[in-house]
Amino acid sequence: MKFLRPTNIRSRLALWFVAILSGVLLIYISAVFVFQYVLLQRQIFHDEIQDVETVEGLLYFDQHGSLQLEQGYHTHQQSRLLEDRLMEVRDLAGNVLYRTDTLKGATLGDTALPDEGVHSYNERSTMLADGTRVLLISHIHPVQGKPVLIRLGYSMAPLHDRMLHFFFLLLLATPIALLAAGFISYSVARRALRPLASMASRAEQITASNLHDHIAIENANDELGHMGRVLNHLLERLQQAFAQLQRFTADAAHELRTPLASIRSTGEITLQQDRTHASYREAISGMLEETTRLNQTIDGLLLLSKAEAVQTETGPTSFFLPELVQEILTLLEVLIEERQITVLEEHQNTIDEPLVADRSLMRIAILNVLHNAVKFSPDRSVLRIAYGKIEREGPIFYRISIHDSGPGIAPGEHLRVFDRFFTSSAHQGRGPRGSGLGLSIARLIIDRNGGHIYFEENVVNGAKCCIELPISTKKSKSN
Amino acid sequence: MHATSTISGRILVVEDDRRMADSLVAGLTGKGYQVSLARTGEEAFFLVHSTQPDLVLLDLTLPERGGLEILAQIRAEQLPTRVLVLTSHNSVDDRVTGLNSGADDYLGKPFSFPELLARVASLLRRFPVPPRSASLQIADIHIDTKAHRVSRSGTLIDLTPREYDLLLYLLEHRNQAVSREMLAKDVWRETSRFTPIDNVIDVQMARLRRKIDDPFNIKLLHTLRGVGFILQEPE
Repeated sequence: MKFLRPTNIRSRLALWFVAILSGVLLIYISAVFVFQYVLLQRQIFHDEIQDVETVEGLLYFDQHGSLQLEQGYHTHQQSRLLEDRLMEVRDLAGNVLYRTDTLKGATLGDTALPDEGVHSYNERSTMLADGTRVLLISHIHPVQGKPVLIRLGYSMAPLHDRMLHFFFLLLLATPIALLAAGFISYSVARRALRPLASMASRAEQITASNLHDHIAIENANDELGHMGRVLNHLLERLQQAFAQLQRFTADAAHELRTPLASIRSTGEITLQQDRTHASYREAISGMLEETTRLNQTIDGLLLLSKAEAVQTETGPTSFFLPELVQEILTLLEVLIEERQITVLEEHQNTIDEPLVADRSLMRIAILNVLHNAVKFSPDRSVLRIAYGKIEREGPIFYRISIHDSGPGIAPGEHLRVFDRFFTSSAHQGRGPRGSGLGLSIARLIIDRNGGHIYFEENVVNGAKCCIELPISTKKSKSN
Repeated sequence: MHATSTISGRILVVEDDRRMADSLVAGLTGKGYQVSLARTGEEAFFLVHSTQPDLVLLDLTLPERGGLEILAQIRAEQLPTRVLVLTSHNSVDDRVTGLNSGADDYLGKPFSFPELLARVASLLRRFPVPPRSASLQIADIHIDTKAHRVSRSGTLIDLTPREYDLLLYLLEHRNQAVSREMLAKDVWRETSRFTPIDNVIDVQMARLRRKIDDPFNIKLLHTLRGVGFILQEPE
């Protein structure tokens, strides 16, 4: 059977439909058959009772004392031959008093049952000596004052013949019905699945360059329409990701090119004429500084790709966030002191649960944010770090906010600051240039850990960066 | 310890990039090492046996025979050669593979040349590092390593622990340029290559200079623009 297994959905659907239909038909036919059989049997018993009642009136003892059946009611004597009823009359001692010719001398049932024919007709089936199955009833009736046991029956052979005919008729109709059903279901399935074929051919034509082409949807409300919508959303996301990647590649090329151009022009200009020893030194130093910048950009890009891959080398460990922040503050202490920045730490809630995350990546993320805050803080200003808890649709998040008193974030740039190589138009030329990747890296790491990072809008003074991280999800689930 | 910059030794540079190889040879020769160069794995095999170098600077990506294969061969033959692996694949996997197959040290490209020199010098030290002497000195700066006390010209200088570590590191690498990468790794113990602490280092260095150099006429701590810092004996 295996090699006949159909590969396309519509044949499979049709086949399933036919299989189920034939199962249902089988059950239905069996039920009808049994019902009909029982019904006909009941009808035969009913007729037999009618017959017994009629025969009772026709029985009489002749002058020799033997029991006879009145035959005078037949208008045509040939009609007698039509009678196929089997009848036997016995006296209560069990001696056979009368037997129809149709029995051909066989007995209709053996010894009398206890109380046979007294209270009921004892409807039953029995087998004659020649193997014929007979439906039989019994009744006791007094003939000329003498009670006799009348047994009357019909052979089941005609019933069986009729049932067999009926069965063959059904059997003949079934394959025709199944064939028709199979054909109809096949064509209906083909009709229903036609949009799938058109979607497939459309999807085949979509490549990286025409991701904006959408799949046509015939009926938006059915399952295929739903799938089409899902595919279109997928295409949209792919298109966005692709556009982002293209923009990123262009930005990265630009970011790598700028220091390269600077190195190149420094070298070219320096070699244009003979210079003093000191000026050569100066040029080479400048070139080396640019290589440092290049190197930092490349390291940042590598870190981004590393954080983007879900697995990291160290894996998650559990640790306490304030402890990590302290460690970072110690690292930045010298900058904070130099600029006379006051760091105020505020614990809004007590949090006992540790964070579960890759500590080294989390450290990079928070270091980038804190370093940024320190960089943009004016001298002798205040940097506020607040720890708290926040509940967002069930899971509880650890929340740390870092609020500096710097120039803040220009309106409309609250999201764009996380873009790779983003430099705010407002901050250009201020202080040493970073790689422009710090906040992107921070966001990627926080996102990967199921958290959120954002700059709060409507902050009057400075910028307020909030980081929310889920508290040990395993623990909160078991609680 | 005191003469790290003048240590002599035979170094085999195995590097297929011509420019990189040339600058390595020039830089190391300039520091007084006897340097030979192999551009392919085959050549490296020949030179390892003919020149018996004390140290091999090994690029892992080579034509013909791979760097790891050479490393395995050197270790299989139990040659008394130190191996410093150089590669541009900076993932931890490479590091583990390199160190597992018997490299003595590992440096990712692009590295700072002062760092390479420091690694080479430390690998070429034939003897185990001598216990840090109780007192170190450069010019008139004196460090009492037991009491963690620093003085210059007899004047006691009060340093924070970080400043003390920094000074100690500079003193141990006296007359050698020290890059910011080296300081981040060895003094700040930052393992990640993308940790923006260059300005932390610069500020720390400025504070150290304020304490040990500013009040005195002779300056010992110098900034080498584009390279790093150097603590140098006055000429």
